Amino acid sequence: MRNILNILLAAVGVVVIAHAASAATVGPVTDPLGVIRIAKGAPIQIGAYWVLSGADTALGLDEKRGVEIAFKDVGGKVLGHPLKLNAEDDGCNAEGGQTAATKLAANPQTVIVLGPACSSAATPGAPILWQQGIVNICTACTAPALTASTRKPEYDGFARTVFSDSEQGKADATYVHNVIKAGSVVTIHDGSPYAQQLQQVMADNFKKLGGKVLSQEAIAPTDVDMHPLLTRIASEKPDLIYFPVFTAAAAQILRQAKETPGLEKTKLMGGGSLLSAGFIEAAGPSVVGFIIGYPDLSPEAMGKGYPKFVTEYKKDYGEAPISGYHANAYDGAMLAIKAIEKVAKADKDGNLYIGKKALRDAVFAEKFEGISGPIACDQYGECSQFKPSVLEFNSADPKIFGVGTNPKKIWP
Amino acid sequence: MARFNAVDLVLWILRVGVLAVVVVGTIATLIADRYTAAQWFDFVMFGLTIGSIYAQIALGYTMVYGVLRLINFAHGDIVMTGAFAGYFVATPLDRSGFLDAHPVLGMGAILAVAIITSTSIAVLTERIAYRPFRRVVGLAPLICAIGVSFFLEQTFRGMFGSAVKSYPSPSWQRATFAVGGFNVPRVDVLVIGLALVFMGVLYLIVQRTKMGTAMRAVAEDGEAAALMGIDVNKVVVFTFILGGAMAGIAGVFYAFVYKQVYFFMGFTPGIKAFGAAVLGGIGNIPGAMLGGFFLGMVESVGPTLFLDGLGIPAPYQLRDLIAFTLLIMVLIFRPQGLLGERMARKRA
Amino acid sequence: MMRRAVLIGLAFGAGAVHIAIVGVLLMLHQRWIVIDVMTLGQAALFLIAGGAGAMAGRPLTGLVAGAAAAVPVAALAIIMNTVPLQWMFIALSNDLFQMLTLGQGLASGCIILIGGGALAGLLGALWRTAPALLRRAIGPGLIAVTVAGVFQELIQLMLQNYEGPVSDLREFIYTWEGLSPQGALTIFLVVAACSEIFGSIWRRRAARLEVRDHRRERLVWAGLALAALVLLPAVAGSYVGQVLMLVGLYILMGMGLNLEVGLAGLLDLGFVAFFAVGAYSTALMTADSPHALMHLTYWEAMPIAVLLSIGVGVLFGLPVLGVRGDYLAVATMGLGEIVRVIVQSDFAAPLLGGAQGILQIPKPSLGNVLLGNPVALFYLTLVASAVAAFVAWRLENSRLGRAWMALRDDEDVAQALGINLVRSKLLAYGLGAAFAGLAGSIFATMLSSVYPSSFQLLISINVLALIIVGGMGSLPGVVLGSIALIGLPELLREFGEYRYLFYGAVLIVMMRLRPEGLWPSDVRQRELHATDETVALDAGTDALPAQPR
Repeated sequence: MRNILNILLAAVGVVVIAHAASAATVGPVTDPLGVIRIAKGAPIQIGAYWVLSGADTALGLDEKRGVEIAFKDVGGKVLGHPLKLNAEDDGCNAEGGQTAATKLAANPQTVIVLGPACSSAATPGAPILWQQGIVNICTACTAPALTASTRKPEYDGFARTVFSDSEQGKADATYVHNVIKAGSVVTIHDGSPYAQQLQQVMADNFKKLGGKVLSQEAIAPTDVDMHPLLTRIASEKPDLIYFPVFTAAAAQILRQAKETPGLEKTKLMGGGSLLSAGFIEAAGPSVVGFIIGYPDLSPEAMGKGYPKFVTEYKKDYGEAPISGYHANAYDGAMLAIKAIEKVAKADKDGNLYIGKKALRDAVFAEKFEGISGPIACDQYGECSQFKPSVLEFNSADPKIFGVGTNPKKIWP
Repeated sequence: MARFNAVDLVLWILRVGVLAVVVVGTIATLIADRYTAAQWFDFVMFGLTIGSIYAQIALGYTMVYGVLRLINFAHGDIVMTGAFAGYFVATPLDRSGFLDAHPVLGMGAILAVAIITSTSIAVLTERIAYRPFRRVVGLAPLICAIGVSFFLEQTFRGMFGSAVKSYPSPSWQRATFAVGGFNVPRVDVLVIGLALVFMGVLYLIVQRTKMGTAMRAVAEDGEAAALMGIDVNKVVVFTFILGGAMAGIAGVFYAFVYKQVYFFMGFTPGIKAFGAAVLGGIGNIPGAMLGGFFLGMVESVGPTLFLDGLGIPAPYQLRDLIAFTLLIMVLIFRPQGLLGERMARKRA
Repeated sequence: MMRRAVLIGLAFGAGAVHIAIVGVLLMLHQRWIVIDVMTLGQAALFLIAGGAGAMAGRPLTGLVAGAAAAVPVAALAIIMNTVPLQWMFIALSNDLFQMLTLGQGLASGCIILIGGGALAGLLGALWRTAPALLRRAIGPGLIAVTVAGVFQELIQLMLQNYEGPVSDLREFIYTWEGLSPQGALTIFLVVAACSEIFGSIWRRRAARLEVRDHRRERLVWAGLALAALVLLPAVAGSYVGQVLMLVGLYILMGMGLNLEVGLAGLLDLGFVAFFAVGAYSTALMTADSPHALMHLTYWEAMPIAVLLSIGVGVLFGLPVLGVRGDYLAVATMGLGEIVRVIVQSDFAAPLLGGAQGILQIPKPSLGNVLLGNPVALFYLTLVASAVAAFVAWRLENSRLGRAWMALRDDEDVAQALGINLVRSKLLAYGLGAAFAGLAGSIFATMLSSVYPSSFQLLISINVLALIIVGGMGSLPGVVLGSIALIGLPELLREFGEYRYLFYGAVLIVMMRLRPEGLWPSDVRQRELHATDETVALDAGTDALPAQPR
């Protein structure tokens, strides 16, 4: 018994000591956080975690495709080594993010990690990766705290090629107040961190602009009977209802609002989570005229490469982009590739060496013209520039879904 | 016996507390007078609509529990299978314009396919998953039912995808009625009315036919019924046929009111409907109907009536809280349900 | 005889069609067992036909059954070729068609399919009559190759941690994509030879042993397996550690629920509430966030969290004291849902953080060492589980434990015997909740954050299912159940979409074939066998419904 206990304690000790990133010199490279050696001919392994199962699959799959196209655009190879994408499913929740990030971090060959799609997965995931000195470039997690100036050092390895919700909420509030000229709003969220945060930011900014927030309501994502809630809202007579919730519940609200007496003139507005063909299918004919606030994806606002990207996307996957973050994902992958190209050093046998700290610094220093706009990270890892827009759905046929056509940009 | 008094004290505090919240909240809401009579009427109508669907699902639970003492955890998913089957009929019918031109025939076809599908799946489930447990005491049957629930949900997800599908909305459903100065959507009236008709038919089958009598006999005392020469297997299959048919109808109605079909749609209404069955008194068919309507009403009216006046933010987020509190209060203070249960033996 | 074979074959074939229609088959097909030789999907089809053959019995009937099993699959291919069905059944894609017909076109594809089925059926039937010598070698060999192929990513991850000979071995067996043919052959030969040699030694020894020694052997083996499990994360790295840590958390919860359901017979479907209480109270006491009520270290917060859970457990138990049986399941499920709704609500958000959860929960530290990585936290969970297992074991054999069992068997009789029902029941809820609270507390520090979405009804169901699959009232059963229902699906993450499909199937099959669980407790096994005898006695009234206890 005693012996077993000793062995156990020793094992714990070994593990605890062995598992943090530490300075090393391998081949021609010395780095305070460690060096990854990629043998001649071996692939450069790029990790990724997205939601790839369940109701929000389109969100993650769209990003995965964006990254795959980016890999293809550089010829599938960097410095003579093939690129390999290890994509994990995070289920869009904290436990999934934790497990996926742990799996990626456990692979000593993981150079850099892209994703996830959900902030609740990134919150536990990013520190786990950074503990191993792995940079995480997020492609769709929009929670403001992740790149706030107050973030903790364990998020130092985190950057994102996507805007923050605080920008989106502010833009939506401005649009509602200045363009629609709505005087009063009611917001609805579904208890998800994303929706709750976005409606809170929007409500705060709307109040600041002098508008009136009549109430902030909430539902469960599985609710189907919105009639009572909407009747209650109708008694407050708002000019606009703002509900950046997910597909099923948003479709119910949209449909049932049209049937509720007292809401005939009330405008309805949603968020980026509804930018998919699945939402049109779920909402049916009531989708026509529905608006959502979203970063500007029109060719004029996007980088020059965007139209070509969309053509390629259609050719490869047989459909137009299925959700809204493919361009951010493409740029995230490009950012990673460019940084690797800068930092990696080859020895005379053709082995490749990448210093982890150097890679982090290269990511944060990189500046280029991405397809979603200029990419340049600030010191807290916010790399994209936000350009607001508002999109309006104009057809109930899910087959003609396309960002820019249906829904079509109506502002600015 | 001092301890029992302590327990009683807690129960009394609970009783008084819940009652106080309800009364104070109601009075405060009514004094604030934010809602018009028409709006209160709407709340009630919405409650009756969802309640009629709960009631139909609850019937399946209550009959199966009465006969087999089994919580058919998968019953909500049987509702889902009916809704899916109806979807694949309704969509082509709607596209070809048939549903608009012949509402009665169209609805008949949709309901028929839904009922056939859900009934066959219910019977198949009984044969494969439940019959082997007929004599097993304990948790195995319940666990098996949970397994069936997962299996059905995931099979449908695999076959038809996880996206939300949308039922058609023909024009005759969108019109509204005027009832005594209030506007009522026609689809609601239709659903409530048809639900009442179907439930009436079911009640007659159980009360008047030979098979129904046999069913009640088995529910009362299985062994004695078997000794009297009743074929228990037949009765069980018959119970599942009735429950499955009601589930199929409920699925189609549910989808016509709320329009959305997806693989997980049956789970929550299923659990709520089981609550409704307990509420009305399990094994009791009128009880299940009453329980369903009552639960629907409480869910629809409750958050506004009880919580609005107390100034609680986002009361509809607490809808399930009200529903489950109601259920637990009934279980604690009136475990036999509102109308009393119809089972001779002491509960399991 | 032939008719039976055909029917068996068709039933297996229907199963194959099911997995094809729900999309599992194609997903399996995309995974190589041996690179460029055989995919998991092909192996699955082969196994199904082989199973039909084995069940049919003789070589000839096996051949027929195997061919019959392939017929529905071939029919599916033909239907797919003639009617466009993908608008309805999304899994019936062209890729699936190519897979079913092996890319050979419809006619020759169907012939290959049925021929292959017949061959598989024949092999399956031969397998049953094959000499033990052969079976002992080939079986483990094939299993080893499959495991090495299916878990290639995981095994490669482990091996990558080492340089030198291990690295050479890895490069010999695996390519970057999977198991190479030469690797597969090597593994097969090595494992087959080993199992042959060790198998015969083992059997010779076993023949000399007494029955009682067999039990001791079993314990020794279990001990060895446990030791391997304990040391595995230290060798295999943090991912395996993370998975085992989740398994550990469920073991903790399983042991808690075991007290309630397994011993006291109180069916609780709201167990997740205690887990949530443990997690949230730890978060509120330690987090570096505006919601924190105080700033304790983890070690100070954990006991308080456990005590709070006990308190909530007792509070939870008080109102439902008088509720019994299936009604209790519904009542507790309602209570669990109430806790979840409150935690998520805006109403409680000022205190509990609402949808945004509570972030920045620190990791515990031992002296100067921060238990920051999954492996370290796994050992924390392990220690907690060991303590909990000891407590559970002592409780089981205590006065209280026997009171619980009496309660489970008959409440009225127990009361008549002078057992204090209120006290025993509340203790069952409280102590069960303590285990879940401890698990929740570790969960919070593992994630460094708590979100309300982590506390779904599904967790209660998972815990209940795992103690039942493992064997009710049995501690080793809880461990086995967690590994099977939590660990395996975590390791097979890429099949995650179908996790609950398999889960449902496993629950049904398990309940039908082995309702007492994988490792039943001795008492329980005796009880079940006693029931079997009663069943045999009154087989005449076989069709009766179950009567309430």
